[in-house]
Amino acid sequence: MDEDSRDHLERRCPRLGGSVTFQYCMDCGDEELPCFKIFDCWWEYFDIVTYLQKKLSEDQFKRLAISKPRPKVASLVDLIRQARS
Amino acid sequence: MEVRKILLTEDEMPRQWYNILADIKMNPPLGPDGNPIKPEDLAPVFPMNLIEQEMSSERWIDIPEEVLSVLKIWRPAPLVRALSFEKALDTPARIYFKNEGLSPPGSHKPNTAVPQAYYNKVFGIKKLTTETGAGQWGSALSFACSQFGLECKVFMVRISFDQKPYRKSLMATWGANCIASPSTLTKAGRDILESDPNTPGSLAIAISEAVEAAVTDESGETRYSLGSVLNHVMLHQTIIGLEAKKQMEKIGEYPDIVIGCAGGGSNFAGLAYPYVCDKINGREIEIYPVEPTACPTLTRAPFAYDHGDSAKYTPLLPMHSLGHSFVPAPIHAGGLRYHGMAPTVSQLVSEGLIEAKAVNQLAAYKAGVLMARTEGIVPAPETNHALACVVDEAKKAKEEGKEKVILFNFSGHGLIDLGAYDKYFSGKLKDYELGKEEESKFEACLEDHPKPELLKSC
Repeated sequence: MDEDSRDHLERRCPRLGGSVTFQYCMDCGDEELPCFKIFDCWWEYFDIVTYLQKKLSEDQFKRLAISKPRPKVASLVDLIRQARS
Repeated sequence: MEVRKILLTEDEMPRQWYNILADIKMNPPLGPDGNPIKPEDLAPVFPMNLIEQEMSSERWIDIPEEVLSVLKIWRPAPLVRALSFEKALDTPARIYFKNEGLSPPGSHKPNTAVPQAYYNKVFGIKKLTTETGAGQWGSALSFACSQFGLECKVFMVRISFDQKPYRKSLMATWGANCIASPSTLTKAGRDILESDPNTPGSLAIAISEAVEAAVTDESGETRYSLGSVLNHVMLHQTIIGLEAKKQMEKIGEYPDIVIGCAGGGSNFAGLAYPYVCDKINGREIEIYPVEPTACPTLTRAPFAYDHGDSAKYTPLLPMHSLGHSFVPAPIHAGGLRYHGMAPTVSQLVSEGLIEAKAVNQLAAYKAGVLMARTEGIVPAPETNHALACVVDEAKKAKEEGKEKVILFNFSGHGLIDLGAYDKYFSGKLKDYELGKEEESKFEACLEDHPKPELLKSC
């Protein structure tokens, strides 16, 4: 078992409105990334930035850390196109 | 004797919603191809009457009588003077709140669920789909659909579906079909289950399922609905602030400060936008959307606006400066990255018309417990962020000796969310404390960053 693992930690997810483990936050994001809110939710618990710099590849960390907010309307149009294809 | 509640009669209810798009400049939303989205792009998921609202720049939009009739089940919502809360804080401030916890689902969400169900009904739609996490939005839409005889299918993220059995029961009581997502009902769900049969699900998957279920219904009688972020949702929620204005006029009051918690932005917008209109027209008023504190190293990433779309952010901070330590909570409003926030809220923050605030979780729960022990009602955990900001402002008023008028939105009750309070009472939540040396290193990396050029409405 990874001694450094934080997977067991739990907190309330502000997006879902219920309790989740840190492992869920690591796994539930888009494009095989953690949740985009992972930094904001966990920084009060431990040094999440350093933790993720170790756990993720440089590219993954960069994509997560500087991800742009995606306009909802654009993502809906995208989903419509995917559903139709 | 002091008055605790200021009520409106049903006749005094607002008859029109306020559309902030009449008074602020927004870049048009762009599709994945980078071109402005056309109404027909959204037609597979929304009825045209809602798409028209989404894109309208009319300042006032009539509320249909059929919608008002349903809203009257719990509206007009009382404006409450928080006398006991004030006394506990020993503040000269006068604190008022709109109690949006009295709706059947217990929050502000049905203020938009009801009109959305209505507009779909008159358009000829027979079924609505949506996604939900812990079930507050799914419950609201289930209730609204039951009022207009629509079927409702709610894709509930599996991890929440398993944790919150009574939310499913609530939706079923209102006649909705609540399904754990990912499900086998859609291709999106089947694909995920094939790769991971034990997945706990996610909001992204649930949204994909709900959209697919609407789009692929060959009868054309199914549409999708969502509870926040979009313009028509903000529009519908303004009934909160419009009622508040009338109620405060009745007692000769006007707020100095308006506060609401901001996740997707709908309850904040609902209370605040009618006051933003006043501010644009010269009224002095402070308006604060309140969020949980955000990770400081990321929220302070300097950025420049992409002029083609004010909802996009391009941070310039070089990678090597990430990993600095943390800065105390109050300056870290998450808004600079604003994932999942309504574009109009983001725009108002960037223009300086509203000021994003952040509170840490301990302060939020402490304020929520104080509310429960003084005013009696137990706030939803999200609402506690607004309450913590109210406490801060009340304390400032005391320090300044000023009788400020503070208005906030009590966005929902927390009676189906007491597990969150359990964690607080058990001492499992904690604050992170930052040393001075770390703080100064962080501030140093903010020097000499370019300021963004903003699209200004006024």
